[in-house]
Amino acid sequence: GESRFPDVDSNGSEKNEDIEIIVNVGGMRQVLYGENLNQYPATRLAQLINCLSGGYDSIFSLCDDYDPGKREFYFDRDPDAFKCIIDIYYFGEIHMKKGICPICFKNEMEFWKVDLKFLDDCCKTHLSEKKEELEEIARRVQLILDDLGVDASENRWKRCQKYIWKLMEKPESSYSARVIAVLSFLFILISSVVMCMGTIPELQIVDSEGNHVEHPTLDNIETACIGWFTLEYVLRLISSPNKLHFVISFMNIIDVFAILPFYVSLILTHLGAGMMELTNVQQAVQALRIMRIARIFKLARHSTGLQTLTYALKRSFKELGLLLMYLAVGIFVFSALGYTMEQSHPETLFKSIPQSFWWAIITMTTVGYGDIYPKTTLGKLNAATSFLCGVIAIALPIHPIINNFVRYYNKQRVLETAAKHELELMELYSGEGKVGGSKNELEDLMGEDKERPSWSRQLKVSHSDTFIHLLSDEKHYRTRLQSCK
Amino acid sequence: MPAGMNKHGSRSSTSLPPDPMEIVRSKACSRRVKLNVGGLAHEVLWRTLDRLPRTRLGKLRDGNTHESLMEICDDYNLEENEYFFDRHPGAFTSILNFYRTGKLHMMEEMCALSFSQELDYWGIDEIYLESCCQARYHQKKEQMNEELKREAETLREREGEEFDNTCCADKRKKLWDLLEKPNSSVAAKILAIISIMFIVLSTIALSLNTLPELQGTDEFGQTTDNPQLAHVEAVCIAWFTMEYLLRFLSSPKKWKFFKGPLNAIDLLAILPYYVTIFLTESNKSVLQFQNVRRVVQIFRIMRILRILKLARHSTGLQSLGFTLRRSYNELGLLILFLAMGIMIFSSLVFFAEKDEDDTKFKSIPASFWWATITMTTVGYGDIYPKTLLGKIVGGLCCIAGVLVIALPIPIIVNNFSEFYKEQKRQEKAIKRREALERAKRNGSIVSMNMKDAFARSVELMDIVVEKNGESTGKKDKVQDNHLSPSKWKWTKRTLSETSSSKSFETREQGSPEKVRSSSSPQHLNVQQLEDMYNKMAKTQSQPNLNTKNTGHPGKQKEELEMETIPGPTVPLLTTRADGIIDMRSMSSIDSFISCATDFPDAGKFSHSPLATLPCKGGVNPIQEQIRAEGSGTRFMEINPKPEGSHRSTFFIDSPNSSIKASNPLKLRSLKVNFMGDDNSTLVPASNVLRIYPDALKNRGAAAAADSTLLSDRSLVSPETSIYTTASARTPPTSPEKQIAIALNFHDASIHKYIDADTDDEGQLLYDSSPPGNVSPKTEKNHLESAALPTSPKFIGQNCIYSMEGITGKTQGNQETVRLENHISPEVHILPGGGGHANTHDQSI
Repeated sequence: GESRFPDVDSNGSEKNEDIEIIVNVGGMRQVLYGENLNQYPATRLAQLINCLSGGYDSIFSLCDDYDPGKREFYFDRDPDAFKCIIDIYYFGEIHMKKGICPICFKNEMEFWKVDLKFLDDCCKTHLSEKKEELEEIARRVQLILDDLGVDASENRWKRCQKYIWKLMEKPESSYSARVIAVLSFLFILISSVVMCMGTIPELQIVDSEGNHVEHPTLDNIETACIGWFTLEYVLRLISSPNKLHFVISFMNIIDVFAILPFYVSLILTHLGAGMMELTNVQQAVQALRIMRIARIFKLARHSTGLQTLTYALKRSFKELGLLLMYLAVGIFVFSALGYTMEQSHPETLFKSIPQSFWWAIITMTTVGYGDIYPKTTLGKLNAATSFLCGVIAIALPIHPIINNFVRYYNKQRVLETAAKHELELMELYSGEGKVGGSKNELEDLMGEDKERPSWSRQLKVSHSDTFIHLLSDEKHYRTRLQSCK
Repeated sequence: MPAGMNKHGSRSSTSLPPDPMEIVRSKACSRRVKLNVGGLAHEVLWRTLDRLPRTRLGKLRDGNTHESLMEICDDYNLEENEYFFDRHPGAFTSILNFYRTGKLHMMEEMCALSFSQELDYWGIDEIYLESCCQARYHQKKEQMNEELKREAETLREREGEEFDNTCCADKRKKLWDLLEKPNSSVAAKILAIISIMFIVLSTIALSLNTLPELQGTDEFGQTTDNPQLAHVEAVCIAWFTMEYLLRFLSSPKKWKFFKGPLNAIDLLAILPYYVTIFLTESNKSVLQFQNVRRVVQIFRIMRILRILKLARHSTGLQSLGFTLRRSYNELGLLILFLAMGIMIFSSLVFFAEKDEDDTKFKSIPASFWWATITMTTVGYGDIYPKTLLGKIVGGLCCIAGVLVIALPIPIIVNNFSEFYKEQKRQEKAIKRREALERAKRNGSIVSMNMKDAFARSVELMDIVVEKNGESTGKKDKVQDNHLSPSKWKWTKRTLSETSSSKSFETREQGSPEKVRSSSSPQHLNVQQLEDMYNKMAKTQSQPNLNTKNTGHPGKQKEELEMETIPGPTVPLLTTRADGIIDMRSMSSIDSFISCATDFPDAGKFSHSPLATLPCKGGVNPIQEQIRAEGSGTRFMEINPKPEGSHRSTFFIDSPNSSIKASNPLKLRSLKVNFMGDDNSTLVPASNVLRIYPDALKNRGAAAAADSTLLSDRSLVSPETSIYTTASARTPPTSPEKQIAIALNFHDASIHKYIDADTDDEGQLLYDSSPPGNVSPKTEKNHLESAALPTSPKFIGQNCIYSMEGITGKTQGNQETVRLENHISPEVHILPGGGGHANTHDQSI
């Protein structure tokens, strides 16, 4: 003992300061000094130094191998990551080596018991990005697992409810669900077309009071569509596990807006006739007709592209604000300028500044209807500059928005495959992997060898690095997964 | 320095494969194992490897016989408990981490394709890849696979056209080439240009035909075509028809031809004309004239399709079409966005404007037009809102339009640019391939076959091939062969093959003109060369990996020699001569240990007009140097030793020197000779010329990882390891300091070249050692003076310098001066290139 550890019988930590250890991390040797290591006593290496006197057991609890001859501690870890991590003892901060997967690096840091806060900010963003991505994947996996779950314990009504829910909300889950989704999509399209057709004067008929009303066939189609929408909504509502959450969710509010106007106008025409004057009722009905437009938004339920668009717009709220601000400033400036410059012309089209707002918008967005246009030279110059400024004002903030959109669009596709992969991994780790190729290796370990319990145990408790622990009850999901496959 | 020096030879140096018991014992005596992957040493617990017993590393534990081990790894050293794998070291880190942590991550800059190959090699399923890396991996892999598939398809299309099963195949092939491949010949190009002109002409005629001034009127008062233009039209159509028919007749696969989109366009361009003629001629009396006219009008419109025929002649148009096809998802998105926007804004504006007097927003469909024109920011001004509400809606519509159109377009643009880049790349690849084929036809392919036959001389042949070939494609081919696994079985080189070939290439790039210019047009005396080889085959007992029985005696002799040398303090000149000869024998067997120091000299000598192969082999310069002194007779003087081993060395040297002395060897002719000779001459040739590959190999190995330098070298081949052994055993007699210097120098020189690229810290470290950054010349002198008198071993290690010393003395001042003159910046550049390749490999 004494010859191996010079400080074996001394009990002071000062001795630890002088100690010099050789660590071998996966083949890379490094001499480390106690005084450096003790700066961060919580780390694995510092712990190692402090328990040198504690005998082999404590040493082997911290490192994988120890060579008394060379006084070398062996760790079976990634040498590359270690190279970065020991920076903490010299510089007090850690930078990730470029190329190492941040999640992998995080795990290495955890092994060396180095707190994540020592990771420098420049590398942290990278890590947090990856983490977010993984969280997103985990969320998706959870959704999929939720769908997969069939609990025999639930009563018949619950199971029925679940079945309807899947039918209505998950087009991928079954063939009939897909048919329903397509039907729903068609109904939306038809009702939108009908709504537009209804306004064509040629297709309208004149009723007894001389008013133009919609063609009865169109009316019937409209009613049928509304009937479908209502049925859909009601079924969804009934089958939804969380009613409140269902009612306040954005897509369902749109659904309500799509069907409500019809019923309101129905009620108004039938009951309101007695209470209100007929013209008022008609006006109210007319106003409600505008709300029918809401049904177009129902398409968003069926198009991931639209969802991406809304997400991108939501994410780039700032940039949108910027765009509007630029435009607003431009509109104010140029309409005022245009107004003043056009004052000299006797037949000016710029009658007031608010009126020339319109002109400014149309010019800046390069639409240019030609209903208002400048006539004086100065006014034309102003128009030219406003056009140029408009192009720039729109082009500049639009770029980040586009970026957001493209990134999210690409990410969406990536996440989809990732979630599937995650499920495969889970399946694999839960020991239910398909036999074939090298996939069955894990099973091998499970059954075969008594020497390797640590690894199989490790695998059993281990899951992929994705945030499955975000999923509330992992075991539960696993059993579900197995029961379904 | 992770892997210490090997005191004992690697597995390959021992004549017999080790006993299974030995292997088991070696495995049992340590809990850990050293894995050397492409020069990067890893150390791992056996326990860790056992976690995945079916993978390659998992099987390593179970393999207890020499054969089973050699199946798993490329080389091993039981004493050091080290196993060598000739694989990419960068990917291996991730893979080993999988064993350690159970989680497979992937280095971010790693190419997905090569990573998947590595995974295959190590026997790990890619499914274990963690989700965070998986996305990137799959994306790249899919992309690569797609690209490869497309490339293969185009190649198949280009090459897989078979004309053999039908009549007059070659004529049809010629016709097909003429019509379909404008790049194949001048005539085809002219034909393509004529075709384009006809297309342009016919479209112009079509447009002119609608000018009222040029139209005539028929008996019914209807406008008809201008007769001249009708003639033009007829001629054009005739040309198109002929073209189409010829294409169809000559096409190897009729149905595929018919289905092709470009051919469908062609058909559509000519059909309307014939249909029109048919209708007007046949149905005049039968059907109502008005109806016929309407149909004819429709077909006239279809004539405009002929403008699409231009797509055949423009890759840009084709890639546009392909992009649109590939990004139909995004296009759909764009249209969906627009449709929704139009729907919403037109209904909004309709409700805002409908109460206005004489409004143009009469219905929602009527305001669709307005919404479209506004959202696309065209703005004709035929309809515009007049109420305040309408104007607000209009303003929002403009902004929404800008946004909505702008969003999906970058994705489409991305697709387009990717495809366009890909197309460009493909064109280049095809050119490369064609060059390769040309090279094959020119005969370099013969040397490739030779390489298979004599794996030991592979590198030399590469050199010859590379030097000989002007085309780039050949290099590719060579590299391909480098990577073929069958070769490992033969050569078992420590050095990562890619790095060596890389260094070849870089060196090659640096020097070929010089080499070519220096080589005189004289031709090699074939007979003499052959004689030399035969003689050598008889006398020379050179250790050879492949022929082990012949190898033993020579090896032993050399070992003896090495042991005797350090003992006595021989007079200076003799010692030097001894050292030289020994080293030459060593070098001829396996090149110099001080491989890195070869760099400057190789570069230097490449400038001397006599040097023919200089930039390749570090050994060569010396021989040339000797040659420069005079001829073979001169050489005899330096070689006074009567021993057999020296005789053999002499013979090894003499062929080369005489070859070169008699006439500066032209590489091409050398190659021709090799190929022309029968096998009996080829074997010795390969033996002699192994000098070069070994030197290169050694250099590559040393530079690849200076940390594992010596152990690497000892693994290289039996011959080197003998030498290393000898040098390692030296200490008792020769002062340790000398060895330290030698090693230092070694490292320093390596570092110098590495530093040229990486600015490593090592630079500082080695600056202190004398030769660190001095010019090659001074370096040489320095070492010469320092090392020569005391330690023959040292001379051995830096034998180039001692050789130079001799030349300096024997040749007189003139030679030295010349050499000095030849030291130029290029000297540094050349080795720098080689060093770069290696450093790069290491850093990956």
